[in-house]
Amino acid sequence: MRRSLGLLIIPVLSLTLLSGCWNRIELNELAIMVAMGIDKSDDQYVVTAQVVNPGEVAAKSVGAGKTPVSTYQETGSTLLEAIRRVTTIAPRKLYGAHLRVLVIGEELAKEGIGKVLDLLSRDQELRTDYFIVVAKGTKAENILKVLTTLETIPANKLYASLETSEKAWAPTKTITLDELIADLVSKGIQPSITGVQIKGDQKTGESKKNVEQIEPDSLLQYKGISVFKGDKLIGWLSEKESKGFNYTQGKVNSTIVEVPCTEGSEKKVGIELIRTKANLNGTVQNGSPKGTVQIRAEGNVAEVQCKKLDLTKTKTIDQLEKKVEQDIKGTIEAAISKAQEEFEVDMFGFGEAIHRSNPDFWKKVKKDWNQQFVDMPVEVKVDMKIRRIGTIGNSPLNKIK
Amino acid sequence: MRAFLRDEFNTTKIGDNERKSVQGGSMRFTKKSLRRRTKSLSKQKQNNSDSTENNGLNRNLNENIQHVKDKTGNSDDIIVREIHIGQDGNLKAGVLFTEGLIDNVSNQNFILESLMVDIRKADLDTNDSYKQNPLQYFKDSVLTVGDIKDITDYDVLFASLLSGKVIFLLDGFAQGYAIGMKGGKDRGVPEATIENTVRGPKEAYTENLRTNTALLRRKIKDQNLWLESKKIGTVTKTDISIAYMNGIANDKVVDEVRERLDRIEIDSILETGYIEELIQDETYTPFPTIFHTERPDVTAGALLEGRIAIFVDGTPHALLVPALFIQFFQTADDYYQRADITTILRLLRFLGFFIALLAPSLYIAITTFHQEMLPTGLLISLAAQREGVPFPAFIEALMMEVTFEILREAGVRMPKAIGQAISIVGTLVIGTAAVEAGIVSAAMVIVVAITAISSFIISSFNIAISVRMLRFIFMALAASFGLFGIIIGLIALVLHLCSLRSFGVPYMSPFAPFIAEDQKDAFFRFPRWALLSRPRLISQKNVEREDSPKPRPKEQK
Repeated sequence: MRRSLGLLIIPVLSLTLLSGCWNRIELNELAIMVAMGIDKSDDQYVVTAQVVNPGEVAAKSVGAGKTPVSTYQETGSTLLEAIRRVTTIAPRKLYGAHLRVLVIGEELAKEGIGKVLDLLSRDQELRTDYFIVVAKGTKAENILKVLTTLETIPANKLYASLETSEKAWAPTKTITLDELIADLVSKGIQPSITGVQIKGDQKTGESKKNVEQIEPDSLLQYKGISVFKGDKLIGWLSEKESKGFNYTQGKVNSTIVEVPCTEGSEKKVGIELIRTKANLNGTVQNGSPKGTVQIRAEGNVAEVQCKKLDLTKTKTIDQLEKKVEQDIKGTIEAAISKAQEEFEVDMFGFGEAIHRSNPDFWKKVKKDWNQQFVDMPVEVKVDMKIRRIGTIGNSPLNKIK
Repeated sequence: MRAFLRDEFNTTKIGDNERKSVQGGSMRFTKKSLRRRTKSLSKQKQNNSDSTENNGLNRNLNENIQHVKDKTGNSDDIIVREIHIGQDGNLKAGVLFTEGLIDNVSNQNFILESLMVDIRKADLDTNDSYKQNPLQYFKDSVLTVGDIKDITDYDVLFASLLSGKVIFLLDGFAQGYAIGMKGGKDRGVPEATIENTVRGPKEAYTENLRTNTALLRRKIKDQNLWLESKKIGTVTKTDISIAYMNGIANDKVVDEVRERLDRIEIDSILETGYIEELIQDETYTPFPTIFHTERPDVTAGALLEGRIAIFVDGTPHALLVPALFIQFFQTADDYYQRADITTILRLLRFLGFFIALLAPSLYIAITTFHQEMLPTGLLISLAAQREGVPFPAFIEALMMEVTFEILREAGVRMPKAIGQAISIVGTLVIGTAAVEAGIVSAAMVIVVAITAISSFIISSFNIAISVRMLRFIFMALAASFGLFGIIIGLIALVLHLCSLRSFGVPYMSPFAPFIAEDQKDAFFRFPRWALLSRPRLISQKNVEREDSPKPRPKEQK
């Protein structure tokens, strides 16, 4: 008994004590990277890491007056090389599990993002829940150097802002690494990523002064959705087209639609959409593909600028519904025609829809699907219902003389 | 001899260790020393039996009295009263008792007065029965007492004398009487101090064995409540009582309890803890396999489930066997309060159990190995607190936990008046100052505090002790292997728990083995009308418990 107990203790103790805390890293040995920017200069990748300065961010911070985040930048011919080289300038090793936002410079995006994504999805430390955005008209490093208010960590601002604007405004979309890679490898859909730009002066955004005034000189703003062909960026959709694109993807949770009170009138009625549902279908008719987009939307009357509109009549409501349907239809068609005529890529996923409905046909056309898509007729059907008109009936404007 | 050795193992170990440390020689526990020890024990027994060889009472009263005086070393609490009985006073008698152990007033009224006053009125010379056998006459007609027993030898005489009986000896007879006249000071029935309840009786056990069994009798007025007594301890001769419900308790378990108690060969039993350590199933486990309680109602509830209670004279506790893991999470209040809140509170206790066991180790594992598991905001906040803390999380946790254990032990051992000072020093100085000095992080103080409070929520102090010990093992596992280590530790813990038995009943029942019908009173407590049966594995024969219908309004016609 004693002997076998002793024999048992030896391996147990040596296993626990000799292997000793392998992989252990204390919290204060981490450089928490919350945002990463990737640019390309010559043949080298330029990696910019936005690292949290925990002492400055925490709720009870003494506030030594330092910035809440710092950026470290290094170059390397591969991404990992650049990331590891950061240790020569930063005191701690970059820790990527809490990455919130990945910003890709527009130049790099135009050259192709495929190679960059390999490391990001291969490394076990990085999770796939961060958002990917493209720096519109600037370098990624510049985006990461702007200090923000309200959310003291700029990466959190980028993350939260994209999430809320997708929910409440519509012309932006969130995309995570796994979704992006799925879009990239599929022939029936082309990737699209929201753009982010600096509004205001970039230089002043870098200093703490930027957040010390009531109206910051420089802000980060999401603007438009980029269109990719393969892994290369080929162009941008305007705000209206981006919204149209998101309608087709069923990604519009809530947005505002403005319609004129009467034909040709300047005064408008604002409708708040509260729910939309999209049905994107691809069929084959007489050997050629045909796309349909069905939108079901619900909304409330949110704002009325005109005097004569009688909201108590169902007829008025019916008319408003018709106008909203027209508006949504126009927006979607604008996006589709832009994709068909200017970019000549299927960013909507009609290819995938046809793949699902008619796999045999898909096999024949998948090689040159983008050409097929350009000539494909797309039918847009919108069905809109107004549910409520808000807390007042007719506009008080009626009684103002 | 071998079997005997094994039986003696537990008993002799303590004394043996002492002896070894005195010798200062090798600390190794060898069979040789065990054998030596056993020999000396049997020699001691021989000494005892030497005196029993020639221990019949003497016919001569003076010799008897002298013998008693010699053997007790003239102890002055042994009172020897020599009296002369009868009208002419030619009959010599002796009354012996230990002062403080007997009821003085009763002794005065019913023994001394009867012998010295009342008997003078009787005409002894003409009394036939007196003439035939004077000794028998005293028993039948003179001594106005209830409990009276014959004694013929010194062994019984001393045992009776020293356990609070009055000894009556008559000159010319090698026989005497031991008269039950126990009295003296005891504490009365106190209020429960450890197992507090909101509802339910407040009384608790006291140091007097008879008071304790009487408290139990008051709860269960049934002839099937059987009490068995024996004396354990070669020197202390402590009274032990086994109580069980005949017809409900499993006979095999009752036999097992008897057998294990009979195996005890020890000089003294001063507390239930002695018995507990000597009869438990498994010594090398941090978990208690015997339950103890200070409440008669808890004892009664346990007996009615088929358990067996062991009382030890001189301790205000009763041991209950077999004890199951789940039993340590049940309180008396559980059965007095409503079923719904009881269920919730029980789940809360289990939550407390896991927090007390795992909170520091989870904190260590997650902050040093699995930072990706934390939400980003929390990670940044924790990292900010750790900024400037010079120790690894494990050392930090260890420091705080050890500090807390020191405070807790100090709180228990301190005189009550100083206890408050300890808590002030503990909370203010150690907690706040350590954080402000930047030696530990604030989050760690929170973790240690919640761990401490959680360990107090567990109703039984016994199981909270196991958790306290295991917590450190889990912390070490977490520090070297992270969550992986914690999971391995938990698996080992569950395996160990499942291997335990308490008097033959699986410790983890009704979970392992899973008994569906016993779930009614495990994690959950079903309403009273649904508690239809006794725990399956404990009673085994008399399982039916009640036949009350579910209360509902009378049906309308």
